[in-house]
Amino acid sequence: MLFNSIDFAIFLPIVFGLYWAIAKKKIIFQNILLLVASYIFYGWWDSRFLSLILFSSLVDFYIGKSLLTTRNIKKRKILLFISIIVNLGFLGFFKYYNFFVDSFSNAFTIFGSSITGRGLDIILPVGISFYTFQTLSYTIDVYKRKLQPTTNIIGFFAFVSFFPQLVAGPIERASNLLPQFFTKRKFSYVNVSMGVKLMIWGFFLKIVVADRAAIYVNAIYNNIENHEGLSFIAATIMFAFQIYGDFAGYSLIAIGTAKLFGFNLMTNFKRPYFSSSVSEFWTRWHISLSTWFRDYLYIPLGGNRVGKLRWLFNLFITFLISGLWHGANWTFVVWGALNGIYLIIEVLFFSKKSKNFFNIILTFVLINFAWIFFRANTISDALYIINIMTTKLGTLYIGVGPDKTAPIYSLLAISFLFLVELKREFFDATFSISRNRNEYLRMFGYAILIFCILYLGVFGDGQFIYFQF
Amino acid sequence: MKNDYKLLFIKSGKFFVTLLLVDLIFGFAARQVYFSQKTGKQARITHTIANASSEIFIFGSSHANRHYIPKIFEEELELTTHNAGVQGQGIIFHNALQKIVLKRIKPKLIILNIDYNWLYEREDAYERLSDFNPYYWQHREIIKPVISIKSKFSDVKLLLKAYQNNSTIVHAIRYFFSPQKDYNGYLPLSGSMENPKKIITHLHQQEQLLDKNFINAFSSFIQSAKRNDIDLLLVLSPLANNENITNTNSMKKMKEIATEEKIPLINLNGSSHFKKKYYLFNDASHLNDKGATLFSKIITDYIKKE
Repeated sequence: MLFNSIDFAIFLPIVFGLYWAIAKKKIIFQNILLLVASYIFYGWWDSRFLSLILFSSLVDFYIGKSLLTTRNIKKRKILLFISIIVNLGFLGFFKYYNFFVDSFSNAFTIFGSSITGRGLDIILPVGISFYTFQTLSYTIDVYKRKLQPTTNIIGFFAFVSFFPQLVAGPIERASNLLPQFFTKRKFSYVNVSMGVKLMIWGFFLKIVVADRAAIYVNAIYNNIENHEGLSFIAATIMFAFQIYGDFAGYSLIAIGTAKLFGFNLMTNFKRPYFSSSVSEFWTRWHISLSTWFRDYLYIPLGGNRVGKLRWLFNLFITFLISGLWHGANWTFVVWGALNGIYLIIEVLFFSKKSKNFFNIILTFVLINFAWIFFRANTISDALYIINIMTTKLGTLYIGVGPDKTAPIYSLLAISFLFLVELKREFFDATFSISRNRNEYLRMFGYAILIFCILYLGVFGDGQFIYFQF
Repeated sequence: MKNDYKLLFIKSGKFFVTLLLVDLIFGFAARQVYFSQKTGKQARITHTIANASSEIFIFGSSHANRHYIPKIFEEELELTTHNAGVQGQGIIFHNALQKIVLKRIKPKLIILNIDYNWLYEREDAYERLSDFNPYYWQHREIIKPVISIKSKFSDVKLLLKAYQNNSTIVHAIRYFFSPQKDYNGYLPLSGSMENPKKIITHLHQQEQLLDKNFINAFSSFIQSAKRNDIDLLLVLSPLANNENITNTNSMKKMKEIATEEKIPLINLNGSSHFKKKYYLFNDASHLNDKGATLFSKIITDYIKKE
């Protein structure tokens, strides 16, 4: 089920009403309701893949329980190994099997011989990258004795499949989210109000900013042979806002929805395009994933508490794998590698970067350059785009037929987003509509925002980009 | 906790009223802007739906807009003519548009300029039905069944004026500052393909699946004309290349229905009048003004003969 669908608009109030109607009963009833709702939410897309979540939850629940009672280090390691193999095995099979088979076959072609791998007709289960990482964090934390495993199977299953963040994050840590399933949730008007506000802003980011930008971006990136440098530059900048609007929008809707049920999820984006270095960018962009990689890959590899060369290697490999996590395509690998290289250069030559306009612009340009690889359909497309960008600026494509107004809407939406974020970043203490003491002004502000969503948004059940990851 | 429920109830009520007021006031302004347009696609649709009263009506996509010169029809046939073409729209849209027009007037002749790919499955043909949103409540009985094929709860969504006028403002502003001159719906093109380097081919679409709703809409268009005793003429416009598009699955189906219903179809695809005459084309599938003049004369000659 998509957040931006009528189905969800009906589903959410029903679940919300039922959830608080049974608030006086034992907490397990609320957890059962959340579990059932989450399975309906997920099954709406394809019920066959519910079995994957069920199996993954079951394995991690019993491994967690076994780790509680097992003191033998070797046995504990085996248990952790099973969890990793099961979770990454599913992920590897569904997401990367064809990619590795194709890459392997292509590699042989380069060396002059030919080998034909047998690709499979596999559907990628929505959200598998997200819930796999979430459950993995649970077993790893339990193994490291950072977290007490739960013996409550309903609570654990509800934690794994919690519908607001099941398919596209934020990737919650068990230490933050799991205990919330065992704490009595109290209905709070403030929480609900905050949740609805976050959702409205999230919808604006998705429906007005991202989906508008997507029309122009797709027109350019899906027909690269018909466009020139200026159009590629415009489309790449628009893509930067498209993916931000899409993903930050999804995260805000997820955080807002969770708040309606009394849950607090972690912040996933903090105005990343105002970063003055790439390293700062990664503390503001997809925070739940970057901290996951930091805690479960970068630090176990030694982090920065090793020799400089090893440190740089750790940085690079973390970003390379992060790139691969985003998709089974070499474009994502190069995107990850580029970010790794940026960070290595920063470590080596620009360890102290001050926050100024020039550095913000420079970081934005570097991030946009990497986005070319992220968005391009193939590596050769990305290289072609970069080549045309630097050699033939040409004319700016502004659309044809019904698409002609798309860049103008997009520009309007991006300008509004930019002003809001600029204000929040640098002038947060000044006048605010969303936090204004005057209740009517606040209501009027959000009513105008809803009006703008309905008046300017794109309504075609647009998929969230991160669903495919 | 009880107080919190009460608070939520009261504040939700207040917010709902505020939202309705905002929608009423700003939505009214948006509607005024929409219906005050003098030129552009939206103004043309409004004119077709509300005012146009000619003896000949021409329906079709951009090919209708660009190829049919009402002035030539009026001079040659002595019948008032209105070009009701709407760029980017498929048969599902034109079927509903025809029915809305027929509620008000009964023309003597309807010409439907068909696109060879109209019956292929195309999501955007459904998405573009949103062009009807501003007219929903006036012609609900016709528009609702069409919109509801893909979009659920249209009655609820279209209660809000903001949604009724979704994505119309930039179009309105654009044509306010830069009016698009049309000649009773005809939009002339002035370019020429004297030395075409590359011409887009279309046949890769041959194997696409046909959409049942589009087939039904095509049949329904014919039935409506018949029911109202209106002569109907189907026309297939020429393409700049020599590509034969008359045997694609979509075309085959339309020809089959036309034959069954005994509706004449003028096929100008591959016609010697246009074959390799690139100076008559603005682009691969649209005639320029010179081409449109010749095209309109060919059609009027045919009508005179028949």
